[in-house]
Amino acid sequence: MSGLPETAGTIYDIGYRRYEGPRLGRRGAVGAIIGAGLRAVFGLGRPGRSKILPWGTLVLALLPAIVAVAIRVLVGDLVDLYSYENYLWGIGALLPIFVAAQAPELVVNDMRHRVLPLYFSRPIGRFDYVAAKLVSLSVALLSLTLLPVLLLLLGRVLATEDLVAALGDEIGVMPGILGSGVLHAVVLASLGLAICSLAARRAYAAGAVLAVFLIGGVVSGTFQEQARGLESVAPFLNPLAILDGTREWLFGGSVAESPVTGADVPLVTYGLASAIMLGVSLAILAIRYRRVTT
Amino acid sequence: MPLISTRALTKRYPGVTALDGLSLELEPGVIGLVGANGAGKSTLIKILLGLLPPTDGEARVLDLDTATQGAAIRELVGYMPEHDCLPPDVSATEFVAHMARVSGLPSGAARERTADVLRHVGLYEERYRPIGGYSTGMKQRVKLAQALVHDPRVLFLDEPTNGLDPAGRDEMLALIERIGREFGIAVIVASHLLGEIERVASWLVAIDAGRLLRTAPLATFTERTGQLLIEIDEPAEPLAARLVARGIGARADRRTVVADLSSGDGSEFGIYDAVRDEAVTLGVALVRLEHRRHQLEDLFRTGGTDERVA
Repeated sequence: MSGLPETAGTIYDIGYRRYEGPRLGRRGAVGAIIGAGLRAVFGLGRPGRSKILPWGTLVLALLPAIVAVAIRVLVGDLVDLYSYENYLWGIGALLPIFVAAQAPELVVNDMRHRVLPLYFSRPIGRFDYVAAKLVSLSVALLSLTLLPVLLLLLGRVLATEDLVAALGDEIGVMPGILGSGVLHAVVLASLGLAICSLAARRAYAAGAVLAVFLIGGVVSGTFQEQARGLESVAPFLNPLAILDGTREWLFGGSVAESPVTGADVPLVTYGLASAIMLGVSLAILAIRYRRVTT
Repeated sequence: MPLISTRALTKRYPGVTALDGLSLELEPGVIGLVGANGAGKSTLIKILLGLLPPTDGEARVLDLDTATQGAAIRELVGYMPEHDCLPPDVSATEFVAHMARVSGLPSGAARERTADVLRHVGLYEERYRPIGGYSTGMKQRVKLAQALVHDPRVLFLDEPTNGLDPAGRDEMLALIERIGREFGIAVIVASHLLGEIERVASWLVAIDAGRLLRTAPLATFTERTGQLLIEIDEPAEPLAARLVARGIGARADRRTVVADLSSGDGSEFGIYDAVRDEAVTLGVALVRLEHRRHQLEDLFRTGGTDERVA
């Protein structure tokens, strides 16, 4: 194109071109929302400061695994600070921080600035929109709940002489690793988005998410120290403890520091509590998005 | 195949009837949807988009049923809402490309068409800056661009000139006209401003309180023979009755009589004479005698009168 416009507002007469190419419909739309959601969560295509929190927490979540692998490779079987079972409890504090910082990115602005009618006037429904956002956040969370533990596994296998035998030994823990990772990611994503969907601004949403985990964690920790039966209530005040209990119920392996260990309740109760937590979160999302006027 | 057809379309909310038995058949073109605020324009658009289920009746867009094929319709139409709907922290390019993909376009095509469309609506260097810093005029252009980016067959524009200054209005109207005539996209433009609709639309649908007042080519609206407004200083029924007795189409509304200039023996002067003579006979004082200037607006006054009578 020769010659730049001398004044803003000059209209090139380029003619209108029709679009005859493929239209991917609902699937394409949902894929686009998931992709854009992942980019938003990790601050891709955004200024550097948007990347600090997500990438920072990811690095912190990976750090214990990296250190553990390094020690194992360099020094050998010295200590086993982290196991597959206690890793998620160990990095537990990072998960609420990640959710609080990044979940609001996904939903709050669309609601606050009334962008939703533009989505809903396209080939998707409200359910598709919410589901796509849930997938975005869940997949993003998997980088924290799955990646480090897989790294730990990889380190253990690679540090041995006989790779095939080691892999055979470790293959049994794979369902536990995958299962706990997905469980944590999906439940935390649902809970996080549900809280954010009720907030008017991103800062309020972040604060609300942190408050739920922080207050829950502190009260739960205090109860854990008491006797008088309160120690059995303790885990149910902390979403992360509920998830830890569910993990133990499904895949076994108790974590010494978790309030689950001190509580005297059947493990299946945690599974039930997780299901309730997930169900309530999804119900909140369903009700919230059904109410959005287009 | 008509562009849009509705049959006895009704939408009731608790306490309010937004649409009341609306039956329409529209062919492609630039269609003006006029009515006062709250007449049911936005409700109609949302039903046509398949976003709102009608209480009764049915609607088809591009021969697709809004109740069962909403998603297929929404793939082929563009919608520009009346209200603000843009996130402030992303650029126009990024936002419009994202919306193109949500409409189902592959990412390459989405980028290409975003560049095209933003040029068409007149956004240049500023398209890389966050939308939050845009003027109202620029925001309206982004709203139009996101509705146009996936090359829709039909475009629904709800009050597209809202908040614009006179120059901005002119540009937006010129753009809408161009989309309809040059781009060959059918446009439904809803507005409460008749003057604007007159400038761009080739067909007019007038609704009032959820009911269809009239649907016709714009030309027939403006070509309609004028009416004479006769204001007197007392209730106008007797004068109207006497004019009607002379075979003149006349109707009383409080202290005014509206007489149809094409009625009677067909000569305007005959009607003026009749008005003068009957006013003398009745001994009423004529306060004002004038041609109605804005005929489209009459449409709504008439509708309002009918409602009072009913």
